[in-house]
Amino acid sequence: MVAATQDLSGKKGGTLKMLWSSDVDYIDPGAAYYQLSYMVDYATQRPLYSWAPDEETTPTPDLADGQPEVSNGGATITVKIRQGINFSPPVNRAVTSADVKYAIERGFSPNVANGYAGAYLGTIKGAEELQFGKAKDISGITTPDQQTIVFNLKQPDGLPKGVTGYATTAVIGALALPLSAPVPPEYAKPFDAKNPSTYGVHQVATGPYMIKNDAEGNTVGYKPTQSLELVRNPNWKASTDYRKAYVDAIQIDQGNDNPSIAAPQILQGQNLIGGDVGPPSALLQQLLKKKSPQLVMAPSGGIRYIALNTTFKPLNDLNVRKAVLAAFDRELLRKVNGGKAIGDIATHFIPPGIPGFDQAGGLDGTGVDFLKNPAGDMSVAASYMKKAGFPSGKYTGSEVLTIVGTSGGRAQKTAEITQNQLQKLGFKTKLQLVTQDSMYTQFCNVPKSQPAVCPNVGWLKDFNDAQTILVPTFNGDNIVPVNNSNWPQLDVQSINEAMGKAQVETSSSSAGDQWAQIDRQITDQAPAIPWVWDNTQNIQSENVKGVINKFNSSWDLSFTSIK
Amino acid sequence: MGRYVARRLLWVGLLLFLVSLLTFVIFYVLPSADPAQLRAGRRASPEQVEAIRQRMGLDDPMLVQFWNYLKGIFAHGDFGYSYVNEQPVRELILARIPATISVAIGASILWLFFGVLVGVISAVRRRTKLDRAAMGAALLGISAPEYWVGLVALYLFADDIGLIPLFGSAGSYVPLSQDPLAWFNSLILPWSVLAISFAAFYSRLLRGNLIEVMGEDYIRTARAKGLGEKRVVMRHGMRAALTPIVTVFGMDLGLMLGGAVLIEVVFNIPGIGRQAYDAILRADLPMIQGTVLISAFFIIVANLVVDIVYAFLDPRVRYD
Repeated sequence: MVAATQDLSGKKGGTLKMLWSSDVDYIDPGAAYYQLSYMVDYATQRPLYSWAPDEETTPTPDLADGQPEVSNGGATITVKIRQGINFSPPVNRAVTSADVKYAIERGFSPNVANGYAGAYLGTIKGAEELQFGKAKDISGITTPDQQTIVFNLKQPDGLPKGVTGYATTAVIGALALPLSAPVPPEYAKPFDAKNPSTYGVHQVATGPYMIKNDAEGNTVGYKPTQSLELVRNPNWKASTDYRKAYVDAIQIDQGNDNPSIAAPQILQGQNLIGGDVGPPSALLQQLLKKKSPQLVMAPSGGIRYIALNTTFKPLNDLNVRKAVLAAFDRELLRKVNGGKAIGDIATHFIPPGIPGFDQAGGLDGTGVDFLKNPAGDMSVAASYMKKAGFPSGKYTGSEVLTIVGTSGGRAQKTAEITQNQLQKLGFKTKLQLVTQDSMYTQFCNVPKSQPAVCPNVGWLKDFNDAQTILVPTFNGDNIVPVNNSNWPQLDVQSINEAMGKAQVETSSSSAGDQWAQIDRQITDQAPAIPWVWDNTQNIQSENVKGVINKFNSSWDLSFTSIK
Repeated sequence: MGRYVARRLLWVGLLLFLVSLLTFVIFYVLPSADPAQLRAGRRASPEQVEAIRQRMGLDDPMLVQFWNYLKGIFAHGDFGYSYVNEQPVRELILARIPATISVAIGASILWLFFGVLVGVISAVRRRTKLDRAAMGAALLGISAPEYWVGLVALYLFADDIGLIPLFGSAGSYVPLSQDPLAWFNSLILPWSVLAISFAAFYSRLLRGNLIEVMGEDYIRTARAKGLGEKRVVMRHGMRAALTPIVTVFGMDLGLMLGGAVLIEVVFNIPGIGRQAYDAILRADLPMIQGTVLISAFFIIVANLVVDIVYAFLDPRVRYD
């Protein structure tokens, strides 16, 4: 596993090469939402805050000149901006607070369509008006001078009766995401006017690296699904940044789908690191056995689980769900998916490292008997089935549980084991295997066509706050007809209200306790089978001194160097 | 012949229309995933998803969507816009064509050369040990899955992970215009792997044809006239035996120009096949449609060329 404190020193120079299987989700930092994009964005862009490699609790001021000032009981957040930061060519000018305001506003435009802006920054006054075309800017973001930006919040909708407050934590958390990286309006507006915006392929940088571009700003270094070339940003000043930026250039080659080829290429090669390319199971075991420094594992900050549709008979019976969880052999699931190295067996829903994890019971779990034995306990399962009205201890009803899983690879194995485990309890099942995109967008994300069981779902934190894990996935108020991520369709009023209260909690220790309590409540409802808090497996060539960014659970391009 | 070609060209247009209609029905009417949800991201509200759906034109009636698509292609050469890659489909496909042509042309030269060579030798020396060994090897070549042979070739000969590092590895492709030598080195393994199964099939096909032709009356007549065996085989036998090979070659080359998906995936070559594969994985519908149309275009044109060449090769075939 990655060390608690990594050696951040390195040698300057050289070209780092990186193998990816896929591409960034979006090259535009305003739309980017996944790990690979973040890896690039945090090397090329300077959001107000970002995450230093070893930092796991509080983001580091980046474009910001210090931590945010919170006033008016959480209704106002003021951030000062560092001086002396310039955009890369062809813009070249100094960054101002207006550039940050514009960057956030464009995230609400359908031409950019940032995936998290509405969820975390939607409580800024005027954000909704901009999103639905009723305003031209966000009135709640003001820039009293070139170095100051102020966020004025309104109370979130749907707070429980008697609860007041602001979603300050969510807004501050989102300021450490790439959306808050400045965008020069006078340069970007013509690109943003297009549908969709083409700013991504004309973007300018503020970080130590930039996507190689030509004099007009066209990102000639980006060839979708082929390659991405990062070069030094000539306007970056090391004195203004905590990043080290050791290597001179970063060459990313995509399309390396086969880990049996790509992983040996990295391990036997020079100057190479893997992006989303990890070692196949056999190679992983070899690396673990010899404790190879070429493999560095890091907790992903996410959880994988098997969602049980709580509206579907007989899974709408809490005792039946508890029986399913009790019987399930999660140890087998982990073994089939790669063994201990892939992560700890999950016993509740907040992943390790996120405030609330320890208070919810840590690795041992919340103490519920139906998750006590990771290998499954048929006697506990039988006792719950009896409580549910099945005297034999097994399901004897006529309902068929439809399972929709992802075809191919480990996901398919997970789906097949799920089927097998359900059959063990007497359920009749029907397994349907489709592509991952189809599984989500045609089935599991659409309540009206949702199957009884979605075995291949999971969730990653957006930032270090349990609300980013629990609210989208278990809050009944978030059950929506399309793009729904509350897959179990869990809708328990006490849980929804507790979440509403915790979201406006400004004290971090109290918030951690509250989220832990909510995690316990969710676990008690057995809406899903939590089975792994997974690790990412990061590999590097022998001559590379890789540094992991713990927030992003992957290599930090601004600190990794060539030996 | 002119009228025949004109008629065939009309058929090309009709077939391309049918292919685009079929692809449209498969991927738009019966979609495998919802592109609007995929574009919106996991935290987007249904209203945002709907706004994106409108922006992508996915809420228009199906006929309007199809008409707009056809109008784009035929009026402006516009294949649509890839919302996943955020670039026009035409540009993305054009950028990939050189790699696919490189793979297809190089491999086809190899398989044609070895397929014909082995086929002729086996036919001329039939029932000898050489014939049996060649046909046995050909059977193996046809049976071995391309994907597997590709992996084995990389483990054996790739210059980074191979036991005998000789040739460029997966992901080493460089465009011909950038470095001809590196281009050649990067394609030796893909060409060879791709050529194996085709050459094997061609050799068996040609052997069978040639043996059959060599039993024809006109071959006996040629021999009776005192022509040498080499001349009989090459001038009279081959001409007739080659016609089915030409047909198959045209089809295969057209298919390869539409993208050798497995080879491009195994060797990570940025060609059209790889592009289609990525597009399917990411539910990038305009890109899927564009790559399917391009593939269909190559296959149909290759067939047209084959039919015309056929007429020249075989005097019995006349179209006018």
